Amino acid sequence: MNKWFRVHTFQLGLAGLALGVLLLLVVVAFSQSTSVLAAPQLQGEAPSNEVCLACHQQQGMTAQIGGQPLTLTIDGAKFEASVHGTENIACVDCHTNISGFPHPEVTASSPRDFSLEMYPTCQQCHNEQYQKVLDSVHQTALAAGNTNAAVCTDCHNPHTQTRLTNKATGELLLGARLLIPQTCAKCHSTIYDAYRQSVHGAALTEEGNQFVPTCIDCHGVHNIQNPTTATFRNSTPYLCAKCHTNETIMKQYGISTNVLNTYVADFHGTTVKMFEENYPDQPTNKPVCTDCHGIHDIMRPDDPQAGIAFKKNLLVKCQQCHPNATTANFTDAWMSHYEPSPQAFPLVYYVNLFYKFFIPAVLGGMGFYVLTDIYRRFIARPKPVKGETQK
Amino acid sequence: MSEHTPRMYERFPLARRIEHLVMLLSFTTLGLTGLPQKFSNAPVSIAFVHVIGGIENLRSIHHFAAVVMMLGTAWHILVFGYLSYVRRTRFSMLPSVQDIKDGWQALMYNLGFAKTFPQMGRYTFEEKMEYWAFVWGTIIMGTTGFMMWNPISTVRFLPGEAIPAAKAAHGGEALLAVLAIIIWHMYGVHIKRFNKSMFTGKMSDADMLHEHPLELADIKAGIAERPVDSVTIRKRQRVYFPIAAVLALFMLGGVYGFVNAEQTALTTTDRRIPTVVVFVPQTLTPAPTQTATLPPTETPLPQPSLTGVPLGTETTPSGPASALTWDNYVGVMLQTKCGTCHGAAATAGLNLSTYADALKGSNSGPVIIPGDALNSLLITKQEAGGHPGQLTPEDIAQVIEWINAGALEK
Repeated sequence: MNKWFRVHTFQLGLAGLALGVLLLLVVVAFSQSTSVLAAPQLQGEAPSNEVCLACHQQQGMTAQIGGQPLTLTIDGAKFEASVHGTENIACVDCHTNISGFPHPEVTASSPRDFSLEMYPTCQQCHNEQYQKVLDSVHQTALAAGNTNAAVCTDCHNPHTQTRLTNKATGELLLGARLLIPQTCAKCHSTIYDAYRQSVHGAALTEEGNQFVPTCIDCHGVHNIQNPTTATFRNSTPYLCAKCHTNETIMKQYGISTNVLNTYVADFHGTTVKMFEENYPDQPTNKPVCTDCHGIHDIMRPDDPQAGIAFKKNLLVKCQQCHPNATTANFTDAWMSHYEPSPQAFPLVYYVNLFYKFFIPAVLGGMGFYVLTDIYRRFIARPKPVKGETQK
Repeated sequence: MSEHTPRMYERFPLARRIEHLVMLLSFTTLGLTGLPQKFSNAPVSIAFVHVIGGIENLRSIHHFAAVVMMLGTAWHILVFGYLSYVRRTRFSMLPSVQDIKDGWQALMYNLGFAKTFPQMGRYTFEEKMEYWAFVWGTIIMGTTGFMMWNPISTVRFLPGEAIPAAKAAHGGEALLAVLAIIIWHMYGVHIKRFNKSMFTGKMSDADMLHEHPLELADIKAGIAERPVDSVTIRKRQRVYFPIAAVLALFMLGGVYGFVNAEQTALTTTDRRIPTVVVFVPQTLTPAPTQTATLPPTETPLPQPSLTGVPLGTETTPSGPASALTWDNYVGVMLQTKCGTCHGAAATAGLNLSTYADALKGSNSGPVIIPGDALNSLLITKQEAGGHPGQLTPEDIAQVIEWINAGALEK
């Protein structure tokens, strides 16, 4: 037996290695299969939620932190209905420093400070989202000392947050999209007001249309990036194109999916594209979608008041970069996402048509002559003729 | 033909050769920097733009080369004027019916239908075709280039649509020109026979005989150039040079206007990302409970101390005992330490927010019996210990003292 082992050391090592790799793969696969980790198991007897709610369900419980009131009342029914309630998360799973009464002294200097002290507890189960947040503009602002910057609990009240995504697929639940702008509006109320007036926002807030973009479709979730960087601006055409080149979505509204192609084919788009490809993080002054269509206040192009399908409205947009352009016909210098046709921009259409035939005609004629010359000169070499020297 | 050194004929003076070099370099530069803009989706275009250092650099180089070509064209016009007025040379570049005949005969010869290749003069039909194609191309490219370079000035006279039409023509013509140069010019003077005369300025009599036999015959006959005496030349120069100077000024002015008519299309205004105030929290309606307990006050709340002297109040010489009332110390202490549960929340029915509420007691009856601390529920609960929100022994002692003294409000 010992001899067998000695002889087959290599094979055994290989088998061991394979087993190790397999185990590792299994571990990795399982760790990635769910983005929310199981609630940590507390050691010993942990107080149940009933114990906590015995006091905290009473109306009007508040504590003074740094002279400001912090509401301590928890609506037990709402908590039961929340995603944490349905998943049987215990109060002490998050409030890990509390195991009974009296509670440890609160060291926070204000209710806000208390929230800032508390939110890292979310990391226990929501590590993936927590790590993403660390890469967000909110976290950057917080690190810079802006305590207003949103943390987990500002968007997701842990005591009332209902399920937003399908547990199995991770996809947003129908209806969740309606809540998103309201959530962001808690801090970004003026932007929400602009969004609500826009073609996208009005469809969402007034018609409950769930196909229009909400905040997160452009800004992302959790790892929300600074939208004022050159990188963000340069990538805007592709951001809008995510939906606007999608046939399924666009055909509901009868909108062309060719808007990106026509943009890239025109002066501005060509420049931005060639620029973006090489220097994605450098600023360029050439316009992207939002410069003409707006950012949060995007209107229908045929909006009677502000629609840029009307030359006088579009001219205002042109003048942002071309202040000397004062005549409305200047706006036709940009083809407004049209592809040239006998109806739209016929001059461009016929110029293109002319060259479509002119180039092959000229080059074809030249090529034919050259081919005959090659044939005569190099293949069917003529014998020297009197009065002509053959080189 | 004899074996000795061939006799050389001057074909292009130095000035024409320099002119050709200038056009060659500017044309190549324009093609190299222009086509990547036309085919902006091609990876090779993007890679080339990267090598050049960005689209802005590419455009600057393109514009510079365009100016060089415009100046070359202006020079060409002046030379044409000189040759035609002062030298009175033949307009040997003008196309004629004979060129069509020559072209047809050459084609027939290549196909084997004609016995001889056409005999041609100073410029063959191939050279004329290329020259006039270049003239046509320069006019198209210059016009459409101006329109794109100066779109605002252009739309004062033309519809806005002219700008994208100009772009379409500029791109189409560019493609045609570059491919024509590759097919026609490269073959005609580099592959068919390597004709170096545009660089050396000279052509051997053998090549002359082969390519320009009629011109060679004219040279030999002495009728290639009309002889002009130097006196006449100088007389004509005195007329032509002032005109040429004015013409040159006009053309230079034109090039200057071409480049500087407007700025916006090239260096547009700096686009700043609009700055907005992003943090504008919605105003929340205050929770009704917030005012029920201790209303937030402007003045800081007195902090109870171990000595029983509330901070921020005068230290009285008579000592804390004399000042021990609900309003002074006891009420504040109980609200601070017990108010979370026994404030507005009134856990177990006990509300310690006010003196009156405190004396009312809890669901189990009064908790404060003035004068009898030992039988007051508040004291018995606290002395037993373990109550959520346990008071310190010092606090309890103070409350006992207060109750035994009659549990006064003031």
